Amino acid sequence: MILTSGLTLFGIGLAAAAILAVASKLLYVKEDPRIALIEDGLPGANCGGCGYPGCSGAAAAIVAGKAPASICIVADAEAKLVIAGIMGQEVIEREPELAIRDCSGGSRAADLFYYEGALDCVAAHQLYGGSKYCPDGCLGLGSCVRACPFQAIQMGPDNLPIIDPEACKACGKCVDTCPRGVIHVAGMSSRLLHLNEVNDCLAPCRQKCPGQINIPRYIEQIKAGDYDGAVMTIKERNPLLVTCGRVCPRPCETACRRQYVDDSVGINMLKRFVADRELNSGKHLPIPCAADTGKKAAIIGGGPAGLSCAYFLRRLGHSPTIFEAMPALGGQLRYGIPEYRLPKADLDWEIQGILDLGVDVHLNTKFGVDVTIDSLREQGFEAIFLGLGAWTASGMYTEGEDLDGVMGGIEFLTAHALGQGPDVGKRVIVVGGGNTAIDAARTSVRLGADVTLMYRRTRKEMPANPEEIVGAEEEGVNLKFLAAPARVIGDENGRAVALEYFEMELGEPDESGRRRPIKKEGSESTMEADLIIAAIGQRPDLACLYDDSDSCPLETTKWQTIVADENTFETAVPGVFTAGDVYTGPDLVISAIGDGRKAARSMHYYLTEGQIPVSKNAQKGMNPLSLFKEIDNVQHKDRAVMPHLCHGDERTCTFNEVEGALTEEQALAEADRCLRCGTVCYDQDMEAQLPLQEHAAQ
Amino acid sequence: MSKLWKEFSKGLWKELPPFKLVLGLCPVLAVTNTANNGLGMGAAVIFVLTLSNLLVSLVRKAIPAKVRIACFIVIAASLVVAVELLMQAFSYPLYQQLGIFVPLIVVNCIILGRAEAFASKNPPLLSIADGLGMGIGFTMSLTFLGSLREILGQGTWFGMHVTWDGFEPFGFMVQAPGAFVSLGVLLALMNFMENVRRKRRGLKAVEGPSHDCGSCGACGSSSKC
Amino acid sequence: MQEYFLLFIGAIFVNNIVLAQYLGNCPFIGTSKESGVAIGMGAAVVFVATMAAAITWLVQAYILVPLGLGFLQTLAFILVIASLVQFVEMFLKKMVPPLYKSLGIFLPLITTNCAVMGIALICQREELDLKTTILFSFASGLGFMLALVLLAGIRERLAVRRLPIAMRGTPIGLVMAGLMSLAFFAFKGMI
Repeated sequence: MILTSGLTLFGIGLAAAAILAVASKLLYVKEDPRIALIEDGLPGANCGGCGYPGCSGAAAAIVAGKAPASICIVADAEAKLVIAGIMGQEVIEREPELAIRDCSGGSRAADLFYYEGALDCVAAHQLYGGSKYCPDGCLGLGSCVRACPFQAIQMGPDNLPIIDPEACKACGKCVDTCPRGVIHVAGMSSRLLHLNEVNDCLAPCRQKCPGQINIPRYIEQIKAGDYDGAVMTIKERNPLLVTCGRVCPRPCETACRRQYVDDSVGINMLKRFVADRELNSGKHLPIPCAADTGKKAAIIGGGPAGLSCAYFLRRLGHSPTIFEAMPALGGQLRYGIPEYRLPKADLDWEIQGILDLGVDVHLNTKFGVDVTIDSLREQGFEAIFLGLGAWTASGMYTEGEDLDGVMGGIEFLTAHALGQGPDVGKRVIVVGGGNTAIDAARTSVRLGADVTLMYRRTRKEMPANPEEIVGAEEEGVNLKFLAAPARVIGDENGRAVALEYFEMELGEPDESGRRRPIKKEGSESTMEADLIIAAIGQRPDLACLYDDSDSCPLETTKWQTIVADENTFETAVPGVFTAGDVYTGPDLVISAIGDGRKAARSMHYYLTEGQIPVSKNAQKGMNPLSLFKEIDNVQHKDRAVMPHLCHGDERTCTFNEVEGALTEEQALAEADRCLRCGTVCYDQDMEAQLPLQEHAAQ
Repeated sequence: MSKLWKEFSKGLWKELPPFKLVLGLCPVLAVTNTANNGLGMGAAVIFVLTLSNLLVSLVRKAIPAKVRIACFIVIAASLVVAVELLMQAFSYPLYQQLGIFVPLIVVNCIILGRAEAFASKNPPLLSIADGLGMGIGFTMSLTFLGSLREILGQGTWFGMHVTWDGFEPFGFMVQAPGAFVSLGVLLALMNFMENVRRKRRGLKAVEGPSHDCGSCGACGSSSKC
Repeated sequence: MQEYFLLFIGAIFVNNIVLAQYLGNCPFIGTSKESGVAIGMGAAVVFVATMAAAITWLVQAYILVPLGLGFLQTLAFILVIASLVQFVEMFLKKMVPPLYKSLGIFLPLITTNCAVMGIALICQREELDLKTTILFSFASGLGFMLALVLLAGIRERLAVRRLPIAMRGTPIGLVMAGLMSLAFFAFKGMI
């Protein structure tokens, strides 16, 4: 009995073993032995973060060459080296990626639901498939928390998921799970390369900023006391925050929803606060750059557009070289903006921070003379960026404008910045209403002249920053509105002594929406002057583009700007890009910085892939859905006032900086005024809502 | 000695199967309609688990890694055959009651799981302690669940009448749905107690043991984990 | 014919292998988190259970019974099933790669699936003939797949609901299985 059973079992076992052995020979599938080896090397978490079904799938994919050795997101560097060793590859360091939550809605989500009788957002989501007013916002369900295999996500107090950057492996499980698409996984490069898209969650300020700075995030970071984090957020879009914190005319603040309650949030004050904190620390925060690609790019012009382009190219891993015609970098920032608004020392510090990343500079190198597109190509620069700026002052088109004692606004400011000490005499007339005109006027005041600023419309139409106008007035600049120059009167030496001008009146609005000034016939008057500064516009000087035979490879416009694709900023010559004033005509610093980044993005794709992707969803104008005129349930809070650093005589006689930075306390209070807007949502005051609720209860 | 006690006692609460270590659900659900069945099944599992742990531990160095799972299965299956024969000889009614779940002890994840996770890496004494602890824990759980279902579903405990007159037993509890629901609720209660304890220590609440018997099978046969 | 039909329907709905017979609960709870996985696992079980029941029937009828070794049933069956799963894995990999791709990763999980062994044992206890054994095991496998896919569907929806933290995961899965089992009681009146 025992023998039979033993033999039977042995027989069954033997038969099974024999069949399996034969089968394994007959049915042998030639499988790379490396698959088993790699599978042993993988951690075996079967998390699916690599996109293959389990570790064995990933191992097969690695051997098949469909996946890199570093595909596993959980394996440590050592394991990856082992796997790469099996495959005979080397591991290239991959840029770390992180999950990022893009919604600031949180508990507001409940208010945004179109309820149809459902009691909360969860119920609404279930009943109506999430017919939520906001198409993008977080539902606060926490499915991502459960989906995360690494316990890196927790629900925060305001019903928004908080991602722990230490624990996050960027496996993307949360991205797949989120029913709202609120979370995305991105590394530094993809964040730098991302342009605003219409379906992003964009607060109005973020839509309006030409530099596409993530304003809500940095204000949030300031509120949380993470000032360095705020600096880094700004630096993902704008490397010149010390400068912009001082001179930006703040388009963002014109879009701020808070202005319908009391006054817009002092966004730029907050930028200046964190920028000055870094500046005063004396140490540049370390800025991560992608691994070197070895691609060379030439940047012509070291102004804001060129600096921005060079900075972003460097952060994307390329090697930019700046060619600057002037003896120092900065362009209009250095030569067009007076010291009392932007101290040169601060500008130098900020530019040094960019150069320290590994940007080469050739100063006093004129484009068209010392280097040309062809010579740069020969030197191995695969992509070229033209950021020439707009350096020629437009004329007044009046008789006598070429007399001595008549200068263009930008010429005057540049001469002053270069220390050439232009002679202002006793009486100066500045013609124009822009920031350059005000800068010229206030600079003349500081040089001891009696200054009149002449503008052909009224104060309301002046394009200059309002506080600049106030500052000019405070410093004793006479404002002469509704007056336009008719003729410059010169003496026998060919020197201007007076300006004859017309009185004007406002007619119908023109296409820019401003009322057109109309000459009053026979209203000519004369005003005496030692120096007449015409600051009525600037245009680029494109002479450098023309070769000896007077032909220019690039297409230009009648305003002397370069023609380029509005999305890619590539000119008619492949590999040559442009941005800044030479492309747009005179515009804001932040526009030049923003376009510099967009050009850098195009150059990055041109250098690495050859094709420049253009999104159909790129956000250009303002999203009408996001523009509110009424803001409910928000309490008044006064806007902070920019402190003045110098007063009285010191202010009008020296070039010391006029405006100061907020204190930490003021900055926190100002950050607290932010409504944390999303595309359509914003924070309401719970206190303000209380009476309403009580009312409802009764 | 303390190490032995540690390995023994962990099965009684810290890693109490099937509540803390969600393994071997089928017999838990199937044979816990009465306390007696639960106890009987538990006893069978103690026998198989302890001896299989001992045997696996003894031969652990002799078995090549490639065929170790097959060997574990053969060892467990032989022991199960022995249990079957013993039960037929000494406690036939219980054997009848438990039905196919006695032979199915072979594929109970606990046996293979402990063999693979513990006995194949530890000396015989510790393995016995582990098997005994786990087995007793498993028996306790089965008996407890069986008692609960028997009392609520039949009004009796080990066949004794324990409820008051007029108690209307709910048949739901002895049927399959009752098995699923009562185990689910018990697991939730365990999680709840664990979370209260964690909260007292200032830790984050967790979801409790994730059940992955599916993957324990994977460990068993594809030489992973 | 009608008898076969009743057996088929009965095995799927009335005596559902998971919900009424308590078999295969571990993979039932373990692999029911996503419906894609559930379908793969279910299909693999249908396939292996049918083959295993047929082969173990042959082993029992032509080896164990003639030799009078009925008590070795358990040991013999597990050996046969384990070898079968290995064999099927190799066979599919070589002969039907697309099928292997969709079912392959679930095959190793089946060795210790008590549903497969349980179905084979039930067939023996009920003393079914070979034809009925194949039909019954196929239907039981389908019943397992049905229950698994249904539960996966429920749990996928549950995953986004706000549950008490202690109930999340396995506990709510078990309660749901209980409710499904209760619902399947309704089929008892069918036959």
